[in-house]
Amino acid sequence: MAKNGVAAAPGMPWRLVTVVGLLLILAASVVGRLVLIQVVDQERGAAFLREQGAMRAVRSAEIPAYRGMVTDRRGEPLAISTPVITLWADPQRLRESGRLGVLANALGQSELELQQRLELYSDKRFMYLARHQTPDLARRVLGLKIVGVGGKREYRRFYPAGEVASQIIGLTNVDGKGIAGLEKAYEDVLHGRVGQKRYIKDLHGDAIRDVGVVREARPGQSIALSIDLRLQYLQHRELQRAMVETGAEAGAAVTVDAWTGEILAMTNHPVFNPNSRSAFDYAATRNRVVTDAFEPGSTMKPLTLVAALETGAFTLDSIIDTSPGRIRVGRKVLPDPLNYGAISVSRVIEKSSQVGVTKMAQAIGHEPVLSVYRRFGLGEPSSIGFPGERSGSLPNRERWSEIEKVTLAFGYGLTATPLQLAQAYAVFANQGRRVPLTLLKREPGARLPGEPVISEEIAKQVLTVLHRVTGSEGTASKARVPGFSVGGKTGTVHKVGPSGYLPDQYLALFVGVAPMDNPRYVTAVVVDQPKGDNYGGGAAAAPVYSRITDGVLRLRNQRPEVEGDMPAQLASSEVGR
Amino acid sequence: MPLRWLTPLLIIAVVASCLAIIRSTHATRAYYADLQRIEGTHWYLQEDYSRLMLERSTLASPHRIAKMARDELVMRTPDLAAYRTLVEGVY
Repeated sequence: MAKNGVAAAPGMPWRLVTVVGLLLILAASVVGRLVLIQVVDQERGAAFLREQGAMRAVRSAEIPAYRGMVTDRRGEPLAISTPVITLWADPQRLRESGRLGVLANALGQSELELQQRLELYSDKRFMYLARHQTPDLARRVLGLKIVGVGGKREYRRFYPAGEVASQIIGLTNVDGKGIAGLEKAYEDVLHGRVGQKRYIKDLHGDAIRDVGVVREARPGQSIALSIDLRLQYLQHRELQRAMVETGAEAGAAVTVDAWTGEILAMTNHPVFNPNSRSAFDYAATRNRVVTDAFEPGSTMKPLTLVAALETGAFTLDSIIDTSPGRIRVGRKVLPDPLNYGAISVSRVIEKSSQVGVTKMAQAIGHEPVLSVYRRFGLGEPSSIGFPGERSGSLPNRERWSEIEKVTLAFGYGLTATPLQLAQAYAVFANQGRRVPLTLLKREPGARLPGEPVISEEIAKQVLTVLHRVTGSEGTASKARVPGFSVGGKTGTVHKVGPSGYLPDQYLALFVGVAPMDNPRYVTAVVVDQPKGDNYGGGAAAAPVYSRITDGVLRLRNQRPEVEGDMPAQLASSEVGR
Repeated sequence: MPLRWLTPLLIIAVVASCLAIIRSTHATRAYYADLQRIEGTHWYLQEDYSRLMLERSTLASPHRIAKMARDELVMRTPDLAAYRTLVEGVY
């Protein structure tokens, strides 16, 4: 054996050596190439291979971020996202599956319709089957395991308060982006951040498994509004009722806490249902309280009164002669409904006398009036940052005619939104201090310092006049609230059309403060085009104010000035021990 | 340290790091599987939570409460003579 082996070695045929050698060289070159590509990484070979592999197998997908909730001040949800599943299909693979009938049946769609849509998308690799399905239904469909059908997690927005708070909250589009109202204004806060993950897919594009999260999804933050849903509901109900009773076309109401600047309720008519997109009227999404500016008319007279008192030329008891019940200014004659004779300044506002206010305006000029308007926040946007908010306007003239100076004093020639009216009256209710308004909840119990814009004394005097307006001699006895003293001012203004003032078309206004012994709540009511004879602010808007304020005071735990005696058994010392 | 120990030491280190990589890769997979399971649970819980919130706000809507108070419980707003305000600490 050994002999043979030794003998064989030198006798190894040269051909075998050559073949083995060649094979070794081949193997070495393959290994060498591998080393070059993968270890030495010449020409970025490894990266290239990895990229090519990833291109064929790794996909990235969005991880939806939970949209923050919107709640009222007590934590009741006003907008809430709920998980849903959107069903989609790869049309090319679905067609081959041959189970269209089963699918259509499970989806509750007609097979023919599905067939037609499939034809429409036949050259695509993606189509929606049904968006935003309830998880139960979607899981049933996915459970059928039909080839080419997939599910994608999404969120759908629900608005539990429905039409009651629709214009404030606004809405999101089908992709979950805020397109109106606070959903739009606070999009950045609510939206959060969409995450991204990577997964490995198979030949057909179905996910096999997730590889990792590229970016964590961050849920949006919730926001708590200053709105009290109970008040919002009450205000909504009363406004709708007023629409029916007066035959008005539109309306708006807003209630503000003058101490904190919080908006407690804000409603509009017409309304829309944010939960149903099928019957959707874009015009109805308008939040008239902040988007509609109009001439505020007589509701500005208390501000003129402030200007008059500040000059020192008038006190509440100064006597103005309003005879003979009309006054000529330039080429215009301004009438009172009847000749009030010589009356006090207080009575001028109480009766809303044009003649009286005209005489006051002529005595003090327009500059002090304009200054008061500016200080009360007219002509500038409020601080709530609502989409589409109007700032109204103050006149800015080089030369003022006599009539312009006078009409400014009773609220013509400038425009304001209902919110601005409420903001202005809040100054009276807050000892002459202006607090920035907000739609977001503030820390409870905090009375903000505010910016003093008029003296506390004048604010108090104006309040007494506003209270008299609701008295038996005033224009707004219908604004009274049982058990409480309130104050306010009516306004009845002509609507403006394309060519000047429209005859027989009015806005009925009322802005009020309550309760008088501890003024805090300001409500502005606008009734747009009331029908019939009761079109004035005192007849159409004041009763709405009364009913809203009744609810506001009750829900905010205000104690009536008069109430029945405590029953004996309750008053006894047994209770509460 | 004598040079001849270095090679076996390095070999041991390399083997140990290989084992550690295997271990950590496995742990990554396991944790990721956990994460996915937890995310799934999170999704289901969120589903439940938002559905319950919606249900609650439907049941507790002021409209429904006002209607039930009026129609079923025959309640009404008291007039002023019957109105009592309870102040904490007084009675």
